[in-house]
Amino acid sequence: MDIELIEIRDFLKIHHPFDLLPDEALEVLPKSIEVRYARRGTILFQPGEENGFLWVVRTGAVETLDPDGNLLARLSEGECFGVRAILRGVAVNRCEAIEDSLLYLLPVAEFNNLRDRYPQFAFFFAPMGAERLRSAQEHSHQNGHEDMGLVTTKVRDLLRRQGPVTIEPETTIQQAAQKMSKEGVSCLLVLKDDAIVGIVTDKDLRNRVVAKGFDIAKPLSDIMTANPICIDAEDYLFDAMLLMSQKNIRHLPVMDAGRAAGVITNTNIVQKQSTSMVYLVGDIYKRDTIEGLQDVVKQVPTMVMNLVNGGASAHNVGHVVSTVTDAIATRLIQMAEEELGQAPIPYTWIIMGSEARHEQTALSDQDNGIILDDSYEEAVHGDYFRALAKFVCDGLNACGYVYCPGDVMATNDKWRQPLSVWKRYFAKWIDTPEPEALMLSSIFFDMRALHGTESLYDDLRKFVIDKSTGNRIFLSFMAGNALSHQPPLGFFKNFVLIRGGEHNHTFDLKHNGVVPIIDLARTYALDVGLSEINTEDRLKAAVERKVISQAGANDLLDALEFISITRLRHQAKQIQNGQKADNFMAPDDMSHFERNHLKDAFNVVKTMQSALASAYT
Amino acid sequence: MWKRLFGPDLRREWYLIRMPDGPMKDYYRKPIPWPETDYKELEYLCIDLELTGLNPQTDEILSIGFAPIVNQNVVLSEAAHYLVRPSHALPEESVIVHGLTDDRLAEAEPLEDILPHVLKALSGRVLLAHHAPIEIGFLNVACERIYGYPLLTRAVDTLELEKRNRQQRNQPIDGGVLRLAKAREVYNLPRYRAHNALVDAVASGELFLAQTAHKATKGETITLREIMFRNK
Repeated sequence: MDIELIEIRDFLKIHHPFDLLPDEALEVLPKSIEVRYARRGTILFQPGEENGFLWVVRTGAVETLDPDGNLLARLSEGECFGVRAILRGVAVNRCEAIEDSLLYLLPVAEFNNLRDRYPQFAFFFAPMGAERLRSAQEHSHQNGHEDMGLVTTKVRDLLRRQGPVTIEPETTIQQAAQKMSKEGVSCLLVLKDDAIVGIVTDKDLRNRVVAKGFDIAKPLSDIMTANPICIDAEDYLFDAMLLMSQKNIRHLPVMDAGRAAGVITNTNIVQKQSTSMVYLVGDIYKRDTIEGLQDVVKQVPTMVMNLVNGGASAHNVGHVVSTVTDAIATRLIQMAEEELGQAPIPYTWIIMGSEARHEQTALSDQDNGIILDDSYEEAVHGDYFRALAKFVCDGLNACGYVYCPGDVMATNDKWRQPLSVWKRYFAKWIDTPEPEALMLSSIFFDMRALHGTESLYDDLRKFVIDKSTGNRIFLSFMAGNALSHQPPLGFFKNFVLIRGGEHNHTFDLKHNGVVPIIDLARTYALDVGLSEINTEDRLKAAVERKVISQAGANDLLDALEFISITRLRHQAKQIQNGQKADNFMAPDDMSHFERNHLKDAFNVVKTMQSALASAYT
Repeated sequence: MWKRLFGPDLRREWYLIRMPDGPMKDYYRKPIPWPETDYKELEYLCIDLELTGLNPQTDEILSIGFAPIVNQNVVLSEAAHYLVRPSHALPEESVIVHGLTDDRLAEAEPLEDILPHVLKALSGRVLLAHHAPIEIGFLNVACERIYGYPLLTRAVDTLELEKRNRQQRNQPIDGGVLRLAKAREVYNLPRYRAHNALVDAVASGELFLAQTAHKATKGETITLREIMFRNK
């Protein structure tokens, strides 16, 4: 008998995850299916009901709503639902046809059969979105993500600017050693008529000279490694690493157009990412003009792009970019102090927001303030700190860290106050959490001392922690605030998109992506009085203090990393194309993989938000 | 009066007594769906035939596709598609229309071997087809020829149902709106490109689900009688 259900097979074949099935499975799959028609408004299943099918939307649209009636997802042609209900035995959410819909129903037995036989298909339906997300990240790392830096960076990029330290073969061993210590290098290239004839390393001096009591007055050629293996400057770091591990060597001479161009070492390569950052930061401290700092800051977008392309995690990128910003601000404060003289009384320059959390990913607005010692007298000290604040904030603005639109800056008199006033602010925010106070809270509870007398900051920090820890009323307001930014799940193909305007058909990966997670972590941190500021650190510490489950925290961390890195990749691509980096991403521009896993990540956030809501409100 | 007394239900019982054992008798073992039953409680068999022409007396069945509706779902695991071996060479025009060649049909089975499968699937169910007189007519002639007894059944004709629905709503019924593909469009049903007896049987089944879903708006019970094909 000839079952000709080509239509159904062809339909499934082009929709994820059925596209993962081999042809022989697709060929027989239609035979298991039942077809149902649901008029708009038909409830397909309710919480508590059994569900014996995996549902696929053939035409029309279906919504899933949680028991409180919140929209969880909107499914359109080719999308599946009912999986959670299958895995749990009973439905958790309500499913309703919101258009006249034709639905394909795959019975549980056949669904399980497919999952057993085809791991890639099972993977798509892994019990928790978060688990799937985690595998997705491993998957993308597997795809050479970690190694990307090595594959995309050329040997040339790692060479010292000054060129190699070289020596003639006739030089004595002692003279060579003296040159090495003078130049601070661990190896010398031995050149004769501009050609590399040998290499000498620290290890050679130790093993072949000192250990054997070899005569140090003899020529270097007696102990050098002659005709060493070289690599071309145009080769990739990956080749260099491969060569070094194959030959078990730690120094590799580099040739550029036939001439000795330098030596790379394995430490060079391992530290590549961090060294480029260390150079950048080191460079900042050598600059003493705003223009000089501007030059350095200009490299930040490219650095972010390279880090992202090189496979750095979003967590790492956040750390690196924030460190650069810290260095710029610190250098500006130093420059101000050089110009204005030492501060008359102790003070602390504080920073807020993403920089404080070590989560800055691009040049963003500045958020800062000054905590003054309580010995502050406006008439005596006012001018100094006004000038200091103006110098630093103007400098930051000139460097691209534009003025804060909300005026949270040290130049604002309100945010340049003695410790006792700061305490009063926090006391007021915590005791009477009005909308404005809550808005400010989300800024000021992510605070870090950058420069000056740290004890002022520590004092304030301790005061705030004592006051907020376990304060149910305040926490319930913070929790409410944390729920005000929702993941963009719901409409068009599951995603809620911005309509109209400049960012039509996109969603905001910052406000609806990372911010909800940051807000969750902050609320947990305030509850148990954590001093951590970084979101990852906060979540980890919250697990230890048992305000959040290990599984919940892991899910959130994975979601944070996935959303953040998606955002960073989007921004890196924009930088590469010479565009200005933003947070608005169109689902159409994403791969199927990204879309699905982003949905998972948003689902995790939604779940944790409802957990928070039930715990605090 | 006469007709009601000797309606299909009574005649079925009469046949059961008289009839020799075989596929036809097995078909009649289950009662013919009773017209006053809630349509949702009944099972249906969506059938489509491909034919050499439209005259049941002279034309032949080329293929048969069917799929049941159980619990308001078209159940594809019980769907079937058969190619029928014709007793004569095919006229050229039907080869063109259906894309069926003599070669392919030569591998098909004779109608005698296929009909038992159809009767088994149809037993106790409502016959469902788009423009049902064709299917009813051809299957009836086949049963008479092979078993010597007519095929008594109750049927739903999605074409007639669509026509009635449109007339009730004062909608036009011209411009081909009653054709299967056009009628499906109205209900947001997908357009099927391929055509064979099974695809069209499934398509008519889906259309029926949509038609009845739209008819049963306020949750009131609809009986089979209200949607049933009225044989003239």
